[in-house]
Amino acid sequence: MDRNDDQKLDSMLHSRRSQAASSDLAARIIHKAQAVPQIQRFFLWQSLRQLFIELHLPKPGYVLAIALVLGMFLGFSTAPQYFSTTNSDGASAQSFLADDEGLL
Amino acid sequence: MPVAWPDKEDNELLALVQDGSHPAFATLVERHTDRFYRLAFRYLQNREAAEDVVQDAFLKLWEDPGKWQPDKNNKFTTWFYRVVVNLCLDWQKRKRPLQLNEDMPLIDERETAEQAMLRREEQRILEREIAALPERQRSALNLCFDAGISNQDAADVMRINLKALQSLLMRAKTTLKQRMKSYL
Repeated sequence: MDRNDDQKLDSMLHSRRSQAASSDLAARIIHKAQAVPQIQRFFLWQSLRQLFIELHLPKPGYVLAIALVLGMFLGFSTAPQYFSTTNSDGASAQSFLADDEGLL
Repeated sequence: MPVAWPDKEDNELLALVQDGSHPAFATLVERHTDRFYRLAFRYLQNREAAEDVVQDAFLKLWEDPGKWQPDKNNKFTTWFYRVVVNLCLDWQKRKRPLQLNEDMPLIDERETAEQAMLRREEQRILEREIAALPERQRSALNLCFDAGISNQDAADVMRINLKALQSLLMRAKTTLKQRMKSYL
């Protein structure tokens, strides 16, 4: 008896009445979406990737690493010029200090 | 309306939607509208309300596709079933209870008028009793007796394990058997 009740209930649950959706429901949704702007979420990594894609550069990670290495290389190779005491600015500063010392 | 990418997986389409692709969104909508409508109808028992909920769910997806994160969710349909269920529950909390549509067609067209009337009454009582079940038991029934969704998928949608789902189903059916005694 209980088993019959189970089967009958299952059958009733499986045959619950239903009403089909309007045939144009999907089309309506698609049409409405065209008027809805998308929210742009800002993710730093995604933005960087997008930037690199637009600039046609390969693999942002590699490009960043190469840029860093190049920057360090150029930085170290050009540094002596700026700190050199042989340039004209350095010479004039030295002569100015020497004049000061002369007064003492 | 022609489907743009019938062979693409849901996840691939969603990645395109996240890049603003309307054709990808259209493909997803065409592919899944009916199944999500069926579930919404199970909850709301009203065509217009179910259509509104499905439309709302898809428009929210289009508006903010970043909410879908493939790393966290295994399947788009599991996640989206959850979205639709939540919208249905919200809808039910906000709006007054809907009257069942008496003109709703019966599935078996070969029944006599008397059989059809009896069945209609039986269905009306069944829907009333299902609506009176606790929320989680009702969700378990609606998900599991909706064609095309397995118990495991239903459990995933509800974020519970299979045993817990089976327990909810058993409790729901026990209650329904008691309340529908005269129709069984």
